[in-house]
Amino acid sequence: MATDFWASSHYKRWIVDRAAVQRARAEDRQYVDDPEYLDFLGIFFANAISKLGKKLGLRQRVIATATVFFRRFYLKNSYCETDPFLVIAACCYVASKAEESPVHIKNVVSEARSVFSQDMYGIKTFPSDNSKLAEMEFYLVDDLECDMTIFHPYRTLMTLCCKEGSSSDFDTEAGELGVGVNDGPRYWGTGEGKLELPGPALQMAWFIINDTYRSELCLLYPPHMIAVAVINLTLVLHNPTRTSIQNQSAPAQAAAPRRSSRQASNHTKKPAQDPISFLASLNVSMTQVATIMQEIIALYTLWDRYKEESPSGETSRGSLAGQQGSPFTTSSGGTKRSATGVSRSGSVNTSSGSNGGTPMDTREEGETGEDGKMVVTPTLLSRVLRKMREAKLADLARGSGPGRPMAVNKMIGRAQAAG
Amino acid sequence: MVVDNAGHEQVLQAQDQPRPNFHPGPPSTPSSQDTLRQSSLQEHNRLALSHKVGGPLPSRLATPVAPSSDGTSETSSRADLYAIVSQVGEGTFGKVYKARNTITGVHVALKRIRMEQERDGFPVTAMREIKLLQSLRHQNVVKLYEMMVSHGSVYMVFEYMDHDLTGVLTQQQFAFSDANLKSLCQQMLAGLAYLHHKGVIHRDIKGSNILLNNRGELKLADFGLARFYQKRRRSDYTNRVITLWYRPPELLLGTTVYGPEVDMWSAGCIMLELYTKKPVFQGNDDISQLDSIYKVFGTPTPERWPGVADMPWYELVKPKEVIEDHFRVLFKKWLSHAALDLAEQLLNYDPSKRITAAQALEAPYFTQEEPAPALPVGLSTLEGEWHELEAKRERERVKKRRRTEGEVFQ
Repeated sequence: MATDFWASSHYKRWIVDRAAVQRARAEDRQYVDDPEYLDFLGIFFANAISKLGKKLGLRQRVIATATVFFRRFYLKNSYCETDPFLVIAACCYVASKAEESPVHIKNVVSEARSVFSQDMYGIKTFPSDNSKLAEMEFYLVDDLECDMTIFHPYRTLMTLCCKEGSSSDFDTEAGELGVGVNDGPRYWGTGEGKLELPGPALQMAWFIINDTYRSELCLLYPPHMIAVAVINLTLVLHNPTRTSIQNQSAPAQAAAPRRSSRQASNHTKKPAQDPISFLASLNVSMTQVATIMQEIIALYTLWDRYKEESPSGETSRGSLAGQQGSPFTTSSGGTKRSATGVSRSGSVNTSSGSNGGTPMDTREEGETGEDGKMVVTPTLLSRVLRKMREAKLADLARGSGPGRPMAVNKMIGRAQAAG
Repeated sequence: MVVDNAGHEQVLQAQDQPRPNFHPGPPSTPSSQDTLRQSSLQEHNRLALSHKVGGPLPSRLATPVAPSSDGTSETSSRADLYAIVSQVGEGTFGKVYKARNTITGVHVALKRIRMEQERDGFPVTAMREIKLLQSLRHQNVVKLYEMMVSHGSVYMVFEYMDHDLTGVLTQQQFAFSDANLKSLCQQMLAGLAYLHHKGVIHRDIKGSNILLNNRGELKLADFGLARFYQKRRRSDYTNRVITLWYRPPELLLGTTVYGPEVDMWSAGCIMLELYTKKPVFQGNDDISQLDSIYKVFGTPTPERWPGVADMPWYELVKPKEVIEDHFRVLFKKWLSHAALDLAEQLLNYDPSKRITAAQALEAPYFTQEEPAPALPVGLSTLEGEWHELEAKRERERVKKRRRTEGEVFQ
């Protein structure tokens, strides 16, 4: 990116702390039975953005930008007071323009209508009028404060780990703004050289980055830190790579006498790949990297309980459903995928009885997973969202109600923030 | 790594403040009485379920990172922040106004992006310009202070510049010295060198997009047609860019594969215009534009421009007769030898041989020939403000001119 990350609005104004993210959901928390649903909604909405984005033929980076826009918008707004599906459509539309791959507004409206009318979303009333979307776009751009340059971990990943000139395998570079500009300091620090990840491992890292957008990570940490954390995770999770690292370091102690021969073989092979010292040489806070890794793992743990119903007739093993799973879904699933590295579909929907019943009433009847915890489905979340909005509307109609003391608190909070 | 946290240029919108009430009614064209008011999602209960109390904000967003230079962060309303003084120009997608910050009294230029006319919502060109300007910072590129939303329009808030090149070249009060002209040329090339270094092609270099202030500083403006380009590979772009008089021959001949060298042709045209005071190649259409270039530089030959025959429209508009190159003869009464050398390199027919902005800055014209460049600081003595729009208006109505002359940029 032609822009310098350190001078960017992304770095200066849009990296927020955990408390800020929590505060942004304060109102929603008033209207939801179980605050955990809000975390699931984060996954749910990101999946919806991804689904709409794919329908519109947007590249992964554009979808990622749309997701960041969505999360930034909801730093300032509540789910229960807005129409998140209209916001999603606007995010995709703005992102397509901001990333120089515009789609026509008509397509966005019609694709959004078709995607969101699926059973699991149950949105039958998505506006068919272009002007509604254009209007929403206007408010979105306003709340984004016209900051439309977004940095993503993909670029750091490719710069750190991709073979020179082979980047065309992925869509990172093509069409990215100012991509020809390769001067200027690498913004994560001093690191020289590259870590050469084998293709499948690189792909796995790429997919993990995709997955990070299901959480609030993109609001909390600079993208290059997320990339480094993902590379770390990949080295651990991708079996062949991990094995090779272990082999590299283990004989160093055990087989000291044969050191010379080992070195010789190393020389014939390649310049020695030492991921550990490579990562150590990066000028980044490893403590923060570890924190991010923890959060990614926490996301997968949560995600494990989220099951997306496959719309009938559509194969759930497609591009989208393929991303639902996580390396942690089940222990066997995780290792299996780690082994292949490429196949992402293994663990999804193995127990997808959830789309059968669509229980009308109590979510307490919801399915429970093997570990006894409840399984959350999009249908359930759609209903939670509807309920939140109805409760909010009812409060507004009443003019007071339980919302009232909350509002007072907020006024105080804001006065304090201002003062 | 040293983090540049200064960011003086970014004046934050005080989004955390309670926003003023939405004033209903259709968005109107701001007149001199109009002041801008903030509107937001919250005020439009069409979208939100209903009116609501502003949501809590993340602390980082609530605290301006940079001390705002205009003191807007401290209070109540950003309504009435800018009072429009007059219209000063017409941009690619909206009018440009001179406005005064009602708190600090500092003048700014407001460029209005009209949204209500746009069927497709936010214009992609506007989005491009915003993204570009947010990433650019150079003394010869106009500075975008902030963005503002008001009355169904988005406004870009720029530093105010007193004049533009077209306006200032048409006025008769102040005569530029050769050192002044050299400085203007140098500043323009420095701005272009920066843009091209950043991977940006301007694609609309012309007199009215080159701004000047009373300190004699020159800044490139209007990035409505600009875009990032890929240094490694050349992409297909539209050739319908650059105002006709400043458009290079390869675009007139239909090429869609080009790079920053298209700006350099325009820069060459401007360089000549600095000395002659009027645009050099004034065609009415693509054909007559080519003819007016041929009259000066002669018809392009494969020797001078090996690729000319491969240009998409070459066969269609092939010159009927051979014309000789008369450039030096025609322009030697205005330009020095070194200046002619540089202009010739900027206006090279062959895009691949055309001099780059960085190379041009090293030309003997700047580095060896006397006089050395000197900022036209004398502009501060100039009465009135000279923009292309004003120059136009003066021709139409001399009277109106007098009324606005009283204003002096503070």
